[in-house]
Amino acid sequence: MEDVKISYTESLISWKRPDLRVGVPVTVKYPLVPTEKPPEYRGKPHIDPNVCIGCGACVRACPADALTAEWDLENGLKSIVSNPARCIRCGRCEEACPTGAMKLTLEFELATPNKEDLVEVVEHHLTKCKKCGDYTEFTERQVEKAFQILPKEIVDANALGEKMQLCRECRMEESVKILAAQGRIIGDPLLLPPQHAKGGEK
Amino acid sequence: MVTKECLAEFEDKFKGEIREKKFLTPTQILYLVDKKDLPDMAYYLQYHPEFDESYYVMGIGSDERQLAGKFAYAPVINMLDGSGKRENFYVILKARLDKDNPEFPSVAQKLPAALWAEREVRDLLGFKPLDHPDLRRLITPEDWPEGVYPLRKDHAYNASPAGELQDGYKKAPEDTSTVPIGPYHMALDEPAHFRLFVKGEEIVDVDYRGFYSHRGIEKIGEGRLTYNQIFYIAERICGICGFQHSSAYAMAVENIAGVEIPARAQYIRTILLEIERIHSHLLWAGVACHLVGFDTGFMYAWRIREEPVMWLAERLTGNRKTYGMNIVGGVRRDFLDYRKTEILDKMKQLKKDVEKLYNIAVSSDILIKRAKDVGVLPYKVAKDYGVVGPTARASGRNIDVRRDHKVFAYKDVDFDVPVYKDGDVLARLLVRLDEVLQSISIIEQAVDQMPEGDIFTPIGKLPPYQEALGYTEAHRGEVIHYVLTGTNNKVYRWKVRAPTYNNLAAVPEMLKGYRVADAPLIIASIDPCYACTERVQIVDVKTGKVKALNEAEFNDLSIKASEEL
Ligand code: SF4
Ligand code: SF4
Repeated sequence: MEDVKISYTESLISWKRPDLRVGVPVTVKYPLVPTEKPPEYRGKPHIDPNVCIGCGACVRACPADALTAEWDLENGLKSIVSNPARCIRCGRCEEACPTGAMKLTLEFELATPNKEDLVEVVEHHLTKCKKCGDYTEFTERQVEKAFQILPKEIVDANALGEKMQLCRECRMEESVKILAAQGRIIGDPLLLPPQHAKGGEK
Repeated sequence: MVTKECLAEFEDKFKGEIREKKFLTPTQILYLVDKKDLPDMAYYLQYHPEFDESYYVMGIGSDERQLAGKFAYAPVINMLDGSGKRENFYVILKARLDKDNPEFPSVAQKLPAALWAEREVRDLLGFKPLDHPDLRRLITPEDWPEGVYPLRKDHAYNASPAGELQDGYKKAPEDTSTVPIGPYHMALDEPAHFRLFVKGEEIVDVDYRGFYSHRGIEKIGEGRLTYNQIFYIAERICGICGFQHSSAYAMAVENIAGVEIPARAQYIRTILLEIERIHSHLLWAGVACHLVGFDTGFMYAWRIREEPVMWLAERLTGNRKTYGMNIVGGVRRDFLDYRKTEILDKMKQLKKDVEKLYNIAVSSDILIKRAKDVGVLPYKVAKDYGVVGPTARASGRNIDVRRDHKVFAYKDVDFDVPVYKDGDVLARLLVRLDEVLQSISIIEQAVDQMPEGDIFTPIGKLPPYQEALGYTEAHRGEVIHYVLTGTNNKVYRWKVRAPTYNNLAAVPEMLKGYRVADAPLIIASIDPCYACTERVQIVDVKTGKVKALNEAEFNDLSIKASEEL
């Protein structure tokens, strides 16, 4: 821009700043005046406890370990724990969630003296094994949902109605009996609890 | 075609020394060579008479003992024809090094651009560059134990052993006093440590010590994350050019997978990369104004950065920074239709604002006098050190990855690459302001031409043990990522080279001969990617007296220099 000839003073004079008495002020009195976030905004994640089925898809998607699954096999509980203080707001959980329970909200003012205040826990009951009476690794809602969405033919063809009500060990026994010859593997190993404890022991 | 001739010439010249040749992509050529020829080959390519803008990009060190039973060291050269007649390409010269004695003849004895890269492979992998002129530590801290090399595969990603404290500073030349700047510097927000050796007011030599915020990100990427999770840490390498890093990483993995991402995704990446550039350049222009005591310009630049630039980023991606938009194979979210007109409106508004800033800045006597003929980096030094980005273009280097390597949608839009010959701080300012105007025009064109369609091509499992480069032109210069895949969707080696890595090594050259009061501005003029000096300590070596200046005092020194004018 070699052709700029006007002096600094001249350009300052010609520079029309917004008139604060009539125009829009450059700054706002935040936090006295609330700010608005656009609908696209990625804020603190929130799990709708009524919709969540405890499948743990969000847990596996989370790159920052902000979501974890905690198992209490003694009392038949699986909890999805969300810790927004670790969260990096990437939104992977929202994409992975099959039910739409996980949503990033517009909330961003999370200052708190105790980070634990932000933690959300959604507790799920596990189903009991029809055969041995131990808890399975499926939540009640997961089983319900599976029957809702899977076409009947598939459920019948794979004898899922039976299998989904067994614990991992019993299911493996069954599978070994039925499927070993074909060498087929059932179940997603990542969805299984870390250890399968027999009733009574940790 | 012409590229092939150049390669044939190279192969002919080093006949018998080349073991293997592989096209990683049509414009990335890997040669497996003997280590003894590295210096000659790198020198030949960097100073190639026809590819006159070529430069040494980085040196990749990797522990490939599990794959090939050896270590590997691979200098990368960006082959650029300044006249634009030939197709540009990257050459990777990979040499295998003995697993028990990983020594190699130093490339840095011929090319200053390799100085840091070879100190880095010494620190992190225990390689031995023979005849390297300055093998002090670069990356590992002063109390890191000798003989422990964190990037070797047998070192756990979370192990951090303690060692003896050592002194790693360069000795001050005779008859000089030392003015240390940092490790906390006031103009930017990250630690770095410059030691200015001064005679009176004049800077005669400089030592640099940094990497205080080295986080071992490459190791975390290799040790613990899957290839789709690396994005989120790649984006957090830098708070300013995060999307550049995530795009460069995406490109490297997409090159390995051999997919072309959908056109719409390329356009979305392009628009976001440019929005990020505008925000970065305006931020920098504000800082530069502030450092010369021209705070009106500072406030103005930062206001127009906030609204509309950050405002727009938040609406297009869901956040002002760390856009989180990339995934291997494309982008994760589409732009909503109603935002299209908004982008165009905001760009129109921004253009007016930036032109005003431009006018005000170049008609400010203070700014011009402080910036003109200060911190001059001659063309030759810029080339020798492999300086990139606006810093290089202000020294007459006609290089820009967007144009030279036709990444993403840049091949479909028209834009100029501003080049200035002066090499001073003023030229660096003007290059950036020109670039903002170009970026606005790129965004306008891209929004207009954006095709409909998918935003994502699914990619299944990655082939193991394949390698490729990915690159973008970030605000400070070329960002380049190298990926070597492992098994199970993990990455075996991930090497990142940010532009400041090359630019910072040349800062001592820019400082020599100028005054202490110019130092903050000169250092800031490359837009270094660690942020600022909060405290400066002046040590008089003769009396051993230490005087600490706080941020305000040091800045005042700089602002006073303006007042003197
Ligand atoms: S937004 Fe990302 S980091 Fe946060 S909980 Fe969801 S997946 Fe984890
Ligand atoms: S993915 Fe959705 S349904 Fe499954 S556990 Fe997470 S929030 Fe609940």
